[in-house]
Amino acid sequence: MSTKILIPALVMAAVTASAGPLLAAGEEIYQIERGFKLIPAIIMVALLCVYIGVGFISKVSETSGYWVAGRGIGKLGNGAAIAADWMSAASFMGVAGLLYLKGWFGLGYIIGWTGGYVLLLCLLAAQIRRFGKYTIPEFLGDRYDSHGVRLIAAAVTVLIAITYSTAQFKGIGLISGWIFGMSYTASVFFAAGVVCAYMLISGMAGVTRNQQIQYVVLISAFLVPLWILIRNAGGAGILPQLEYGAIIGDLMQGKTAAGQLTGDDLARVRQDYLPWGNGNFYQFIALVFTLMVGTAGLPHIMIRFYTVKNEDVARKSVLWGLFFIGLLYWSSPVYAALGKFWNPLGGTAVADVIILSAPERAGLGIAFIGYLASGAMAAGLSTVAGLLVAGASAVAHDWYATIFRPDCSDRQALLVGRIFTGALCLIVVIVALNPPALIAQIVAMAFAIAGNTIFPACVLGIWYSKANKYGALAGMSFGLGMTLIAMIGWIMEVPFFGPGGILPATSSALIVCPLAFLINILVSNATDDRVSNESADRSDQVIRKLHNMPGGAIEEPAPRKELHPMA
Amino acid sequence: MGQSGRRADVNFFNPSTASMKKEVSIARTILVFWFALSYGIPLVIWLAGLGNPYGASFLTETRFLGFPLHYWLIAQGCTIGYILLCKLYCVLWDKKTIIPRSERSGRDVY
Repeated sequence: MSTKILIPALVMAAVTASAGPLLAAGEEIYQIERGFKLIPAIIMVALLCVYIGVGFISKVSETSGYWVAGRGIGKLGNGAAIAADWMSAASFMGVAGLLYLKGWFGLGYIIGWTGGYVLLLCLLAAQIRRFGKYTIPEFLGDRYDSHGVRLIAAAVTVLIAITYSTAQFKGIGLISGWIFGMSYTASVFFAAGVVCAYMLISGMAGVTRNQQIQYVVLISAFLVPLWILIRNAGGAGILPQLEYGAIIGDLMQGKTAAGQLTGDDLARVRQDYLPWGNGNFYQFIALVFTLMVGTAGLPHIMIRFYTVKNEDVARKSVLWGLFFIGLLYWSSPVYAALGKFWNPLGGTAVADVIILSAPERAGLGIAFIGYLASGAMAAGLSTVAGLLVAGASAVAHDWYATIFRPDCSDRQALLVGRIFTGALCLIVVIVALNPPALIAQIVAMAFAIAGNTIFPACVLGIWYSKANKYGALAGMSFGLGMTLIAMIGWIMEVPFFGPGGILPATSSALIVCPLAFLINILVSNATDDRVSNESADRSDQVIRKLHNMPGGAIEEPAPRKELHPMA
Repeated sequence: MGQSGRRADVNFFNPSTASMKKEVSIARTILVFWFALSYGIPLVIWLAGLGNPYGASFLTETRFLGFPLHYWLIAQGCTIGYILLCKLYCVLWDKKTIIPRSERSGRDVY
């Protein structure tokens, strides 16, 4: 297949393309007041101290602690951790920005990113917990009994971590720029310093505990300003998540804070809130589908299911996680609608910072905006932390400790993990200096990668015992190749892969994902007799374990030592 | 060992054991609702708005809780629906695990 030859060339092209100047980032003109802001800076520094402090108290001395944080997290705690991992700068700032810019069409991001959890729950969550090892590459590698599959999965995990983190760094950069009055470039480096210090000190044991604290900080920061904002917009201030409906109804009639819109302006705002004003039916469905399969195939979300006590907790933590995420997604359209109300005709320049720009225009008060900004920062930080761990563990655990040096000690694997965390961080910084799209769009591309490679391989691995290593290799290479082609096409501004094209980089899974399924099934059937008996027996053991069938090796992994806070 | 007949046979569309059948039937129930929410609602909005280039229709004119109906259906209808689906999944699963053993064998579970 020609895609196999194309991949190395494409990766090269991606690296060179992303290094070039694409879009001047940080050109967003949103500040009423520029320069250093003391009160938000104090709030922010206090928050960062809390995060690093918590990380410091729970230092890590054992590899298993670094990867999945012991195995004793309950359904509420794990739900909050899922939500905190999830609530990134993309959902915090990016979704509000897209809803502001694209109106109704932007809602595709909301249902895509919530509906995916239903897929995850029905098809994957409990089974992955039953398997009970550390990482997704490990799961795929064992199930298909192939180092090739393990390597592709590890590469995909790293690629997702880079793409997704880029979006977070853009968000973190915009926020620190707002608070400290730094240039965008300086704030990206600042953010990198904070992330690295935090990650390297604490490892994931710290991250997990933090993520529950971070969720609370984050959701309160996001919700509290809404009550004040909705009152300033003329609402009753009881339940903003319902009251903004009337504002949207009014906006469709052209009523804004500045008075009645007329003529072209009215037509433009009205069009934003009509279903197909910013994209057609196909583009909407393609986007929703891509985000859903991507959500269900995202390694750093799936890794959460290894950290719970049993599969019952795994199921219930999806429910809680989705509810916690729902709180955010019922609220981000409020920011977008209020942004429209005060600034109906702002363009791309204000979109990614609408959650700061709308409150500024509404006169929210600097302390509240500072708290909101700190929340967005926390969202970005916690996501980056989870991603870098998933990426570093893909390299240290799945490549180094499994394939390259199977006899290495725990300490060596931990060291490789730390070095690679730093390396990943560096790559992300370089890409984040010239981000290729809006925050939520960059994130959507990471979802396309996950949905086209990991999701089909995991679903078939669990639910189709005939799927074998050759099928998985073919399907995953095809999915990865097509996604990379679409991403490069988007960056090169090829219309076919652009926002209005047939195969947009943000929405490629509607076409590519079913094909990846098909290729895996067809190739598996064609190569059925090429799999050796020993290999098929090893896959069989894994399948039996996934479905609690008799005959599988039913060994619970050794219980992890409880990490002592002062160890 | 080595006979393919002795290996586990797993196929989502043709589950082999009683417990897997139950699992699959729960997953299918949820997926049907999931599909209806995710793609059925946009389809209805699309069909209703065929006469207008931007999809304006009675759905965009009707108000529900103050929202234009087409907006509420996606922004809150679908998301609330997903959470209820996850709840339903957990409930169905809990019910499955307390069914007495005698009822779990045989073909009636599908």
